[in-house]
Amino acid sequence: MATWNLQAQMGSSRVLRYGYSLACVAIAMAVALVFRHYRFHELAPPFNLAIAVVTWYGGVGPSVMALVLSTACFDYFFSSPIHSFVISRGDLPAFFAFMVWAVLIASFAGVRRRIENDLSHARDHLQIELEHRKQQEGEILKLNQELISRAAELESSNNELESFAYSVSHDLRAPLRHVVGFSELLQKQAASLVDDKSRRYIKTILDSSKRMGNLIDDLLSFSRIGRAETKKSLVNMEQLVKDVVSEIQRETRDREIAWKIDALPVCYGDRSMLMVVLTNLISNAVKFTRMRTRAEIEIGCAHRDNDDVEVFVRDNGAGFDMQYANKLFGVFQRLHRAYEFEGTGIGLATVQRIIHRHGGEVRAEGAVDEGASFYFSLPKQQHPQVRAANTV
Amino acid sequence: MNTLGRILIVEDDPRDVELTLTALEEYNLANAVVVARDGQEALDYLYRRGQFHTRSDGNPAVMLLDLKLPKVDGLEVLKQVRSDEYLKMIPVVVLTSSHEEKDMMRSYKLGVNAYVVKPVDFHEFVNAVKELGVFLGSYQRASARKRQEGLKLL
Repeated sequence: MATWNLQAQMGSSRVLRYGYSLACVAIAMAVALVFRHYRFHELAPPFNLAIAVVTWYGGVGPSVMALVLSTACFDYFFSSPIHSFVISRGDLPAFFAFMVWAVLIASFAGVRRRIENDLSHARDHLQIELEHRKQQEGEILKLNQELISRAAELESSNNELESFAYSVSHDLRAPLRHVVGFSELLQKQAASLVDDKSRRYIKTILDSSKRMGNLIDDLLSFSRIGRAETKKSLVNMEQLVKDVVSEIQRETRDREIAWKIDALPVCYGDRSMLMVVLTNLISNAVKFTRMRTRAEIEIGCAHRDNDDVEVFVRDNGAGFDMQYANKLFGVFQRLHRAYEFEGTGIGLATVQRIIHRHGGEVRAEGAVDEGASFYFSLPKQQHPQVRAANTV
Repeated sequence: MNTLGRILIVEDDPRDVELTLTALEEYNLANAVVVARDGQEALDYLYRRGQFHTRSDGNPAVMLLDLKLPKVDGLEVLKQVRSDEYLKMIPVVVLTSSHEEKDMMRSYKLGVNAYVVKPVDFHEFVNAVKELGVFLGSYQRASARKRQEGLKLL
């Protein structure tokens, strides 16, 4: 670690590094002079050592300077003729040997230094990367925490909704049942005592209460569809349509309805929920073609590609004004007067909710007195994003 | 229909009790009815304790059980009845306002014989009670036959 720090300090100042080089050569010079004083023959090692040390700590520039200075000093002071830069023939091999040795040491040290520099760069880079990762991890952790608390919030609001629906189911229906029950008993008990007007009043009480009961039931089943888990699988739409139609045909024996069921593909969805969708749309078609002597209802496939399929239910019934098309799928939204066509106005809202839960879309086309077409799209296969949404 | 034995109605709302009794009267089933106003009272009746400690022996022919009851709720009563060696054969019909699937599933898991959602329409309710009478009749005949077969075997 000390070496590292020294290198780091050296690296920071050019003056320091060259000064260091100068100092090393001076020390080598002094040592060589001492060696000569004691009549040692080998005077090159102190210079070689100095070059090595400078190369190690100072880098390329100072190392070259140390090399040049050492060579000059060695030549001038220690190789004969002394006090001259001329090199005698006899000293030439020794001088070359010194030079080569010095250059070798310098280059090896340089290579090593470069590698260490690279390594330290890599280390710094890694350090930065690591910190970046840590930061990202922290962010992910934070997001996760947020998600968990969101999920908990959702769960609690879902539970609240559930207990709300439960209490509606229990507590709201009870008094209504009493109103209906006792009105019916009154109707029976007082049948001979009351006049026509009173009888009509009682009947209105009964009808309205029953209607309210239907509204509550529909609203509850609508909310249940929002809360229920979807159990998805591959569904044969054509077969499902045929099942629904044959169920509805039982109640429409007295009417002339021309059914046209086109070929439909297999879709991916919750069978019982899709059955609710088809039942709603098809019984709507039956209901709104009531005034036609010959009703025409067609169920087919409007569009299909690799991923999605769009199914439609078309009729030649009362239709609607396209101006109000966006209102059709709202809860309790009705475009027709209650005495014209019965209903609570929750059917299409239920359709929309189910289709949205399948990742599809709903839309409607129509014109007043010219019939209506209702479209819904469904995935043919399990979409990756739908799968992800389901697991969350 | 006296042969049917007593009907135990467990219901806290007196208006519902009256409607149920009226519906039972339609089919002459109301002559032997005991009403418990909450789950605790129902258990007291079944175990012949408290105000019912002097009642004559024997289980009711059927128990009509509401789910939402003060003190001890319907599902708890059902659980206790089904886990008691002496009471577990009593036919229990849950008669409730709730058509929540959750309640239905829990009732069936606890071994209810029938789950009837009280309809808003009184007519429908009378029809439901009629079916109940048919169910009771066949249930009793079946258990009587079983008893006879048991005797034959002896």
